[in-house]
Amino acid sequence: MARAVAGEEAAFRELVRRYERPVFSLLYRMVRDRALAEDLAQETFVKVLNGIRSYNPQYKFSSWIFKIANNAAIDHLRKREPETLSLDGSPHAPSGDAARATTPQLGDPGESPLRELEARELGAAIEQAIARLRPEYRSCILLRFVEGYSYEEIARILDVPLGTVKTHIHRARNELRRYLEDHAEPRPGARETPPRTAS
Amino acid sequence: MTDPASPGPTPHLTPDEIELWAQGLLPAARDIHLAECPACRKTAEAERRLVRELARLPRFAPEFGFVERVMAKVKLPTPSGRFDRP
Repeated sequence: MARAVAGEEAAFRELVRRYERPVFSLLYRMVRDRALAEDLAQETFVKVLNGIRSYNPQYKFSSWIFKIANNAAIDHLRKREPETLSLDGSPHAPSGDAARATTPQLGDPGESPLRELEARELGAAIEQAIARLRPEYRSCILLRFVEGYSYEEIARILDVPLGTVKTHIHRARNELRRYLEDHAEPRPGARETPPRTAS
Repeated sequence: MTDPASPGPTPHLTPDEIELWAQGLLPAARDIHLAECPACRKTAEAERRLVRELARLPRFAPEFGFVERVMAKVKLPTPSGRFDRP
């Protein structure tokens, strides 16, 4: 860290290599779009490295970087226009056949390889359940169960009271459980693994 | 638990206790309640399935060359301490 604060290029590279996967994973699950998640991850690292002299070593470096990444995701999700694509096809179509022709097709063979990759990576029931959560619940669940942060650390990262984190995680768990009960079969031989420990 | 109708001889598990149980961290004294309360057992089993699913979530990698793309946009300090790039 000291080498990075001193502006050493090799240390900058090492920090990016160390955190690129966790940061990208959080952003990808927040926005569910690979290209956009990569843009936001780049924005996060550039902001972190250009502002590294303002890093407060009292806090974990990983907490600081996740705070910036999460803010980038939330800002994007707030700015994004509501998705208003109608499942009945375009309302401007001149005829019924034309309207049917504009109906969105899930798994359309014309979709790009990138979309197919996203569908493979984020297609599992648990990923879909996470995607249905409100963004603020999603951040809490991912930081707690994927990154292994304590409730107190999540409160610091998200800049919200501890009670809010507890409420969000409690409600998110209830929503996830309900969704999985409705949509997923328990997989045999699943290993029992506690949440990862934050680095 | 939300149904206080038949709590049995020990109180229902709280949501925090159910999370602890799902991670194998609930004290044995509270564990006893699960043997006598089908409602708590059902919720706890569902919670354990959820924790397992979440623990198995993979980390994803950005496209190859990510570090270089970031470094191309980072300002590196010059020997004088001033930032030089991009």
